[in-house]
Order: sequence, then C-alpha cells, then structure tokens
Amino acid sequence: MQNSSPTAAVRPPTLPQPRPTLSAAGAASLGPRRYVAVNWIGLWTLYAKEVRRFLTVGTQTVLAPMVTTLLFLAIFVLALGHRVDQVGGQSYMQFLVPGLIMMAMTQNAFANTSSSLLIAKVQGNIVDLLMPPLSPVEQTLGVAGGGLTRGLVVGVATGLGMWLFAPMQIAHPLLAVFFAVMACLLLSLIGMLAGIWAVKFDHMAAVTNFIITPLSFLSGTFYSTERLAPIWKSIAHLNPFFYMIDGFRYAFIDHADGSVVTGAILLGVCNLCLLLLVHRCFASGYKLKA
Amino acid sequence: MSRHAADSLAGRAGRQHDRIALRHQPRPRQFGAVNWIGVFSLTRRQLRNGLADYHYQVLGPVVSSLLYLAVFHVALTTLQNGGSGDMLHFIAPGLIIYAACEKAYESSAATLILDKHERVIVDMLMAPLTALERSIAYAVGASGSGLSVGLAVALATLLFTWLHPANITALLFFAVAGTIMHGLIGTLVGIWAQKWDQYAAIHTFLLLPLSFLSGVFYRVDTLPSVAQGLIGFNPIFYVIDGFRWGMSGVSVSAPLTAGGIVLLVDLILFLSVYLCFRRGYRLKP
Repeated sequence: MQNSSPTAAVRPPTLPQPRPTLSAAGAASLGPRRYVAVNWIGLWTLYAKEVRRFLTVGTQTVLAPMVTTLLFLAIFVLALGHRVDQVGGQSYMQFLVPGLIMMAMTQNAFANTSSSLLIAKVQGNIVDLLMPPLSPVEQTLGVAGGGLTRGLVVGVATGLGMWLFAPMQIAHPLLAVFFAVMACLLLSLIGMLAGIWAVKFDHMAAVTNFIITPLSFLSGTFYSTERLAPIWKSIAHLNPFFYMIDGFRYAFIDHADGSVVTGAILLGVCNLCLLLLVHRCFASGYKLKA
Repeated sequence: MSRHAADSLAGRAGRQHDRIALRHQPRPRQFGAVNWIGVFSLTRRQLRNGLADYHYQVLGPVVSSLLYLAVFHVALTTLQNGGSGDMLHFIAPGLIIYAACEKAYESSAATLILDKHERVIVDMLMAPLTALERSIAYAVGASGSGLSVGLAVALATLLFTWLHPANITALLFFAVAGTIMHGLIGTLVGIWAQKWDQYAAIHTFLLLPLSFLSGVFYRVDTLPSVAQGLIGFNPIFYVIDGFRWGMSGVSVSAPLTAGGIVLLVDLILFLSVYLCFRRGYRLKP
C-alpha cells in the first residue's frame, strides 16, 4: 500500500542534508544561560511585563485617574474655594494640587501591584512569576518597580492636567521627586502584601474601600491638620499617608504642617521594613506556593 | 402470599401510578398577557445580584459617602471660622442620590456583562419573557438595589447632619426616577459592552463627571452663566436638583420642569432598552 502511493514513486533522489554538527561554541550557547549575582535579563523582563501590563490599558490606568483627580480639584475648589481665603500662605487650589497628585499616585501604585498579583493568582498564571530563575529579591524589585512606575506616570499625567488649571512653581523639585518615589514604593509594597494575602477580589475591594481610601482621604489632602483639635492632630500625624502628602506639598509650596525630616525618615524606615517583609513572603512562598 | 401474586400486585400499583402521573403530567404553565412569575423572578435575581455581597456592595458606598462628609466637615471647620452645618446639609442629599444612582448603573450593567462573559445570558434570553418584561425587570431590579444603597447612605449621613425631608413625594419620585434612569443606562451599557474596560470608561468619563460637576457638592447657581447653560442639558443634574428639593426644599431649577425632563429621559431610555431586547442587539447572534 505504501509502496504503491504516488508520493513514494516521485520521492526526490536526494534526501535533505542533515544540519551541520554544532561547533563547540554553538553548543555552549544552547546551554543554560550563566549569570553572576543578579539575573539582570530576568529582572528587566519582569519589570517590563509589569509596565506593559498597565500601559496596554492606559485609558483605564492613566487617563481615568487623571480625570477623576481633576474632578476632585474642580469639586473642592468650586465648593470650598470661595469660603476659604488662604491655607499655609497659599490659595486653596494651590494647597490642594500637591495632595491630589500624591493621592492619585499612591492609589495607582497600590492598585498596580495588588491587582497584578491577585489576578495572576486567580487566573493561575502566578507560576510564571514563581518558576523562572528569579530570586525573591528580583521578584520583589521587579513587581514593586512596576507599581512605582505606574504611580510616577500617573503623577506626571495628573500634574500636567492640573497645571492647565492651576499653574504653579515647584519650590524644591528634587524633594518632590524623593517623596513621590518613596510614597509610590511604599504603596507598591503594601499592594504586594495585599495581593499576596488576598484570595478573592472581595478581599481586595475590602482592603481598598476600608483601609487605603480612608487613610488617603483623611490624610490632609483636603485640609490642613494645623488647626485640628490636639488629639485629632496627633492621630492624623500617626498616619504615614500624612507624611507623604505633607512632604510632597512642602516640596511644592514650601510650607509643611509636620516635620519634613521626620516624614522622610519614617517613609525610609517603612519602605525598608516592607521590602524585607515582601522579600520574606516571596522567599517562604507564603500564600503563593503550595 | 405467592411470588406471582406479589408481582401482579406491584404491577397493578405501578399501572395505577402511571395513570395518576398521566393525569398530572407537567404541562406548560399558562399565563395571560404578562408572565408575572417570570418578571418577578428576573427582578428578584437582579436585586439579589446587586446586593448579594453587602460587605462591599452596600458598605463600600456608605464608607465612601461618609468619607466625603468627613472631609468636607474637617475642611470647613479648620479652614474657615464658620461651622460646616449648612454645607453638610447641602451635600448630604447629593451624596445619597449619587450613591443610589451609581449602584443602579453598576447593578444592571455588571450583571449583563458578567452573564455575557460566563455565557449564562441564554438563561435570560431563553426564558419565556417578552422584551417588555425584560426591560421592566432590569429597570426595577436596578432601581431596587440603588434605593437600598441610597437608604443605607441616608442612615449613615445622619451621623453628620440631620435629614428632614421637605416633600416626601418629590423625594421618592426623584429617587425612583433617577435610579431607573441609571439602571436603564446601565442596561444599555451592559448590552453594548463586551469588555469591563468599556463599562469602566462610561462610568469614569461620562457618568462620574456628569454627576460630580452638576451639583452633588456645590451650588450650581454660583457658576458662570455659560457653565449653568451647559448643565441645563444634563439630565443627571435634574435628578440631583429635584432630589435635593425634596429633601431640603431648595432647588436651582423649577421642580416641575425637572420632573418632566427626568420622566421624558426615562421614557426614551426605556424605549431604547426595549428595542435592544426585542432586536437582540449584541445579545442574540
């Protein structure tokens, strides 16, 4: 049967040549890639994946927060602007702008890392993060870097949008960058912890609705803590969000409610502790590995 | 008793059972012009979906409304010397109707998109319901979930300000008409949208600005006249304004005009939803 098939009759006389044997160098290039202390390609790939993840839906992840924040600016300025003369030597709008930018940045940094990990867990593709040859340090930095980038991108977009309505000078640009990076990193790491802990989307909605949003709303974005009653003032000053907003606002308008140095140190310590904690989670596989 | 006798006895019992079964064979349920049970079932299903996980479906809006009130209270008491009473009294009705309307939109749009994604939309399409019955069920279900959330938010705002409805009929009318309006918008979006992005985009770029910029938080009559003229074209403005009139007796537009416009918009939206369901637009192949 096989012999009588027409293909057998017209089989070409010469068989395809076998591929040339691999040279020593070629064989080595197909072996496992060698790297020293840090898997730079892996770290970069993870980071790029995290950034592309939010950039492909830029309307939702960058434009939407920008519009919402501009809405907040409009609402508060229209509702309160004519009743408030000056806050910290500035008009109410100029007082509001840095706080709103910081709020948008922190909420988005949190949203990026938390949703990335939670969705990966729910869909089951978290293995793609756990299986590659990435150390816990690289996993921590790659994912946190994605959240940090989203926060900063949203911050720049929101800042540009605000600048159209409230042009303002930045008194200490470097300090502004410092506080922006520290705050976004902090919220990225908190988001990672939440993403590692949460099992269902309901859990994440609860964390966002009942912890993150209240802390950021009641942190002095919309009002100055200077004239709060003493007890409320000291409670407000326990909120890490207060120091982010206060420090960032100081960088803009050269006026702070609390101590900027305390804020910077506090944010640094918080970030360090959280980095170690997230690293611990990845290293032990808490709620990630079976 | 012999085995044969027992068999024949069992056989007779079996035949008798068959006869009874034949007489009581399930037949299609008969109903007149309206399939009331069907409408009621779909409405109840929509209501339950909207309020099932009350931890965040009801408490979420309550917490965020309270946050707005707290922020305004603190901002007003610390930034200026006067109290915050009149302002909170002004904002509270806006927040209540906003939360109710947002929930109504979310309830109908989210269930439709989720049903489409999970391919259980056929259960709604195959059921013996006319397009009119479906439209009513979606509108009423969404309105019901919205009103429940509105009530919860209203109770929560009592922490900050005293609510004393000036005109309870107007209050209820605008609450029902406003949630139905958003429920119908949500139904249209749910029918049209294929992805969650589209649902979120309509919310962030259309409904949120339309409600926030038309008087949830500030007096529209203090705006420049151009802005006031533009707001006149926004139906959500009339919902908020009318509801506030029912609550506090103060309004920018004439309440009768507002009521008329809201009713008209509801009617147009209802017709559109009805036509979509009848044609099967984006629902049937």
